[in-house]
Amino acid sequence: MSGFSAWLNDIEGISAQQALKAGLPTKRVESWKYVPTRSLNRTGWRPATPQATERFALTGGRFANIPEVSGLEVTDEKLTPEEKKRLTGMSEAHGFGLTQAALDHSQLILTVQETASVRINLDHLANEASSAGFATLVLRLEAGAQLTFIEQFEATVVEKSNLSSLRCVITLSRDASVKHVRFQKANATAHIFSNIEVSCGENASYRLQTIEFGAKLARNDINIALAGREASASVNGLAITKGSQYHDTHLTIDHVVGDTKSEMTFRNMVDGKGEATINGRVLIRQDSQRSGTEQSIANLLLSESARVNPKPELEIYADDVTASHGCTVGSLNKMELFYLKSRGLSEADARAFLQYAFAEKIIGEIQHQDIRELVETQLLGELQHGDLIEELKESVDV
Amino acid sequence: MLSIQNLRAKVDNKPILNGINLNINQGEVHAIMGPNGSGKSTLASILAGRDDYEVTDGEVIYMGQNLLELEPEERAWAGIFLSFQYPVEIPGVKNIYLLKAAVNAIREHRGVPELKAGEFLKLVREKLNVMQMDEAFLHRNVNEGFSGGEKKRNEILQMQLLEPTLALLDETDSGLDVDALRIVGEGINRMRSPERSVLLVTHYQRLLDIVKPDFVHVLANGEIKLSGDHTLAEKLEREGYEGIEAA
Repeated sequence: MSGFSAWLNDIEGISAQQALKAGLPTKRVESWKYVPTRSLNRTGWRPATPQATERFALTGGRFANIPEVSGLEVTDEKLTPEEKKRLTGMSEAHGFGLTQAALDHSQLILTVQETASVRINLDHLANEASSAGFATLVLRLEAGAQLTFIEQFEATVVEKSNLSSLRCVITLSRDASVKHVRFQKANATAHIFSNIEVSCGENASYRLQTIEFGAKLARNDINIALAGREASASVNGLAITKGSQYHDTHLTIDHVVGDTKSEMTFRNMVDGKGEATINGRVLIRQDSQRSGTEQSIANLLLSESARVNPKPELEIYADDVTASHGCTVGSLNKMELFYLKSRGLSEADARAFLQYAFAEKIIGEIQHQDIRELVETQLLGELQHGDLIEELKESVDV
Repeated sequence: MLSIQNLRAKVDNKPILNGINLNINQGEVHAIMGPNGSGKSTLASILAGRDDYEVTDGEVIYMGQNLLELEPEERAWAGIFLSFQYPVEIPGVKNIYLLKAAVNAIREHRGVPELKAGEFLKLVREKLNVMQMDEAFLHRNVNEGFSGGEKKRNEILQMQLLEPTLALLDETDSGLDVDALRIVGEGINRMRSPERSVLLVTHYQRLLDIVKPDFVHVLANGEIKLSGDHTLAEKLEREGYEGIEAA
């Protein structure tokens, strides 16, 4: 018995039994067909242990230092039937979801009170070698509440495979808004799973910016339901994939009712033997008239062995709808390279400029300056010849 | 300074240049005119190092070096500058990043110290003033959303900053209104010096009224059919290219 099976075998309960039976998803499951699950199966996983920290953090599958902020309430009560249903929906999607449900270490429910405005920063600490942590975070926004939710991943070096999985259920009441930023730069042996379930009520808005740099394997499942009129969602994503990394984002926006708007912009930049998957699905149901969606997916391949699996899906059943979509796959533009080189930039500098430009389209949209600068520094540090751009920024940006 | 001998080139197996011979000495301004599709822009692009063309014969010697063996950036370091017919838009890169990186790359290869931030800004402001461009251009993305005229001004701004030894100006006059044409023309004139040579590629005479060339060549079907002084341009304006193409 290997992988999670041994662990699951020690747990009593229906979901553990179901998970054991289902096993991990294989390539036969459509939404997992590119995911290299071998290292998940090979590792003899054990529960991760929490580490000491002074910040609000997810460590060893548990939440530490739950923030005490005015307008934010820690709720002891149980999950609502609706939340339960959404969690079950996630779990039943595939064996990994069942595994996650069975192994969940902790559950935290936070409520942002009516018309309050709150910022919380969650740090994801690295789990130790061969250990895995699972947790669930429920965020409830009362009417008119505003939340800025920033997730950052610690890059501590861990020698062997490690795993962290967070399910996040976010419910926005009417007029509420969430600005959610994820900056994933986990260590090179990490397996990061992130499952985000969002439901937007009337005139609520959810905005996600997700930036992937790190991990050996990172999988995001993001499902957003626009369930109230005038609700809107926007997702902006960037994955920088290199070495033998695998990054995967499966994103669905469901226009459950009419008069709703969505926007989805995603960019993959893949180098080395990296592989990136982006599945962007928008569903506009038959009665969801006067809805609008814009989707743009761009993929930049920087090496011969880099791979990308882009799948844009627009399913529109209503007739009074505005929709636009575009998906491109390509290498660096030859004319742009020639233009830069004709101005005296070396090949390597010119390539750095264009890679920076590709990523900046997403990074430049991050409104929180502190996070934007962190992400830019990370990007420039990873680009060959990124130091040239770093110097330029320092010398001419006033 | 530049000697082109029997240059032949093709693209997608179609011959474009059919044996170009041209000598440009230091300080001279040459204009190459000719009908659409005659190979004017191809010639400028090949000299700058664009690799979409296959050179099948001939050689180009620039300041004693075999130019065709050099990468585009090595040509820039050696003092060659191409003002693009269609300047390339680079979303996500601020104009000022490109300008500063280019100026310092070329200075480094000329063995002069890099410009510090303050020195660079002073220089770039002076050149913006010459080109009657607003400082806001520095912080916009390279050519993105620029009008045709703004793009061409931006090219000449770059030329002013990079101070090339040989400037190749590919249809720099196209898409310019009368005022912009004058600003661009005067910008080029300011760069004329006994050490600097210019090769102007143009379809019309109007830029040559401002930038008086020392020599005018007429290119048709990939060959120089006729050469003369600036009065040749005036003659072409009156009589058109038809007679020359048939020759």
